[in-house]
Amino acid sequence: MQAVNTPSLPDAEGPSAPLTFITCGSVDDGKSTLIGRLLYDSRALMADQLAGLASSAFAGTATDGFDLSRATDGLEAEREQGITIDVAWRYFATPRRKFVIADTPGHAQYTRNMVTGASHAQAAVLLVDVTKLDLDAPEVILLEQTRRHAALVRLLGLPHVLVAINKMDAVNFDRAVFERVRDAFAVLAGVLGLPDWLALPVSALTGDGVTCQSEHMTWFDGPTLLQALESLAGGEISAAPVSDVRAEAPAWLPVQWSLRDSDIDGARWYCGRLTEGTLRVGEPIRALPTGSGAPTATVVALRVAGHPSAQAQAGDAVAVRLDQPLDIARGDWLTTAAAAQLGQRLDATLAWLDAAALVPGRPVLLRHGTRWVMACVERVTARLDLAQAAWSVDHQPIAANDIAAVHIEAAEPLPLGTSVRHARGRFLLIDPHTHATLAAGVVGQPFGDTLASAERVRREWAG
Amino acid sequence: MNAPLSAAAAAALAASEASLEALEHEAIAILWETFGAFERPALLCSFGKDSLVLLHLARKAAQPGRLPLPVLHVDTGHNFPEVIAFRDDLVHTFGLDLRVALVEESIQRGTVRLAHADESRNRHQSVTLLEAVARHRFDALLGGARRDEEKARAKERVFSHRDRFGQWQPRLQRPEFWDLWNTRHGTGEHFRVFPLSNWTELDIWRYIEREGIALPPIYYAHRRAVVERNGRLVPITPFTPPAAGERVLERSVRFRTVGDATCTCPVESTASTAGEIVAETLTATVSERGATRMDDQASETAMERRKREGYF
Repeated sequence: MQAVNTPSLPDAEGPSAPLTFITCGSVDDGKSTLIGRLLYDSRALMADQLAGLASSAFAGTATDGFDLSRATDGLEAEREQGITIDVAWRYFATPRRKFVIADTPGHAQYTRNMVTGASHAQAAVLLVDVTKLDLDAPEVILLEQTRRHAALVRLLGLPHVLVAINKMDAVNFDRAVFERVRDAFAVLAGVLGLPDWLALPVSALTGDGVTCQSEHMTWFDGPTLLQALESLAGGEISAAPVSDVRAEAPAWLPVQWSLRDSDIDGARWYCGRLTEGTLRVGEPIRALPTGSGAPTATVVALRVAGHPSAQAQAGDAVAVRLDQPLDIARGDWLTTAAAAQLGQRLDATLAWLDAAALVPGRPVLLRHGTRWVMACVERVTARLDLAQAAWSVDHQPIAANDIAAVHIEAAEPLPLGTSVRHARGRFLLIDPHTHATLAAGVVGQPFGDTLASAERVRREWAG
Repeated sequence: MNAPLSAAAAAALAASEASLEALEHEAIAILWETFGAFERPALLCSFGKDSLVLLHLARKAAQPGRLPLPVLHVDTGHNFPEVIAFRDDLVHTFGLDLRVALVEESIQRGTVRLAHADESRNRHQSVTLLEAVARHRFDALLGGARRDEEKARAKERVFSHRDRFGQWQPRLQRPEFWDLWNTRHGTGEHFRVFPLSNWTELDIWRYIEREGIALPPIYYAHRRAVVERNGRLVPITPFTPPAAGERVLERSVRFRTVGDATCTCPVESTASTAGEIVAETLTATVSERGATRMDDQASETAMERRKREGYF
């Protein structure tokens, strides 16, 4: 058995839709070297860029005289310290697929930048450095950052996780090591509820298992990392992953801007990116949250990316003209949904990323869709304890990089989605004075089973 | 003349094709966000290929209405005349609201001081740009920079905050989650917005070909007097005369990037259409800026340092 779980596999022929993926994991687990390896082996590094890697003073992990780990370090401070501080975006293509890679930092201090990358990705490559684990212990314990990143990937709803069990060259490509680490991850994945993951043995430094089958690991008959990436289902949009692209789903459009028609006197067009469903000319539509009653207008014309069109689908930049003037502005949603729940109080999960701890009761700005409303985190219901991978109700403050289940009250009703898989299930919290981004929020609680089991554990202990 | 594509190049082209639609929708949504979330946005345009793709997208985003913002050109005074002629034609054809910020005026004011009369004015553009931001009270500047161009640009946000001094603070960038952009800012601060962040050089040329976007003629093969210097072809202009002992050659060249005339080099090419440039891009072995920019070669951090000072 190589894989505990097999990702949805491939349509075999022809180029697939582009895929955006992150590399994540703990500090020095080999993320940057892995990306350098992928770029180098797929010939995405140009001659002048390679020359830069050869000439640099630091030479830790060299391949053919090039330090691959430095291919994505773009900032002076990163080069000085030999770490990744912020996301680097890289682009490469194989004959099968075009890729966007977000190389995200491993340090807990820069978790905000890891979440930035992850929120734009459809897959995560989570690296685990086998040399950092106590392989003699009865049970292999994964590092806290590995757990944190796995939890964040789950929170953000990334559909696919590839667990790259790295530095296999340092353990003589030992199958037993791979299997022990994989089994440790399986336990974590079960607790977090990661739906679709696959463990792969690799050495980013030597290239084994990355882009070519390893002759040192003939015991593994799964795909290489690149093959696995090429075969993942994708097709979502890099900047705004949408999930509900089913044609029959009701359309939801957050209005970004409206414009006056140059030719038709008094006509206005409402512009935004369709996040769900399909929108057609002739359909009844209403605006939320202002017009929460019955449909009040009909779509008379659509433009998709500037061109007249009879319909628009999820992901499209679409301008909508209605048969009658309504009081619609940026911040409203247009929808064809027959019934939509508006909510002012929500249970949500936060990735808290501000340096200062969360203060319940303090007013914050909440961005949902294109709307900004005042809001307040009324109370914290639980904090995710990464060491135990379970919810904790220890009433410790929610500090930077914690994941917390909270209850929020907003100043106005919002058409909330039910999970991160809908754009309406995502929001930001912002400091109203400094404008700093405090937290990424998801409606609901993606680790449902975990919370239940943690409570059960506590009850058992109490009993 | 078009050489047949190798199998790998053809596959890369097909993979690029699959992403072009999504990139267009993404860029238009970023433009709408800028039009809607800011009070005084402007579109920063060098009239090079990337800013012309951005201008094309902005005009599409505004359909069937008028472009809702002015176009800002920072003019170093060291231009390729073909680009200025193209600019003036385009302003007339599209009815653009063009604002020109002259580095020369900053020199007159004394806010830019050249080390010597022939110094490249490329880096000094930042001062002139920030003066224009203050004068027009712009709160957002759209730009055509792409993450695949250069390693500091690879670190950029789509909506990138600038403090009261116009500085980029790369270690303290705001996180950017989903497309829920945090466009909030204090008085005197502004944003740089990059709708083409996720486009590659290949995507740009594919889009120029697909949409029939007009470019200054120097992007296509033409004969030009050049000298060979440090492995690059340096164009002979009134600002960049040959050095003593250098031999002036005439070559068939095109520009892969067009910036300040004192730091932009052409590459040898016979490609005379966007389609032929797509074919050349697929087989290029040197990066776009590596082949053409003298300003990035000064040190590993040249671009980052310029960006911190307010450069685009």
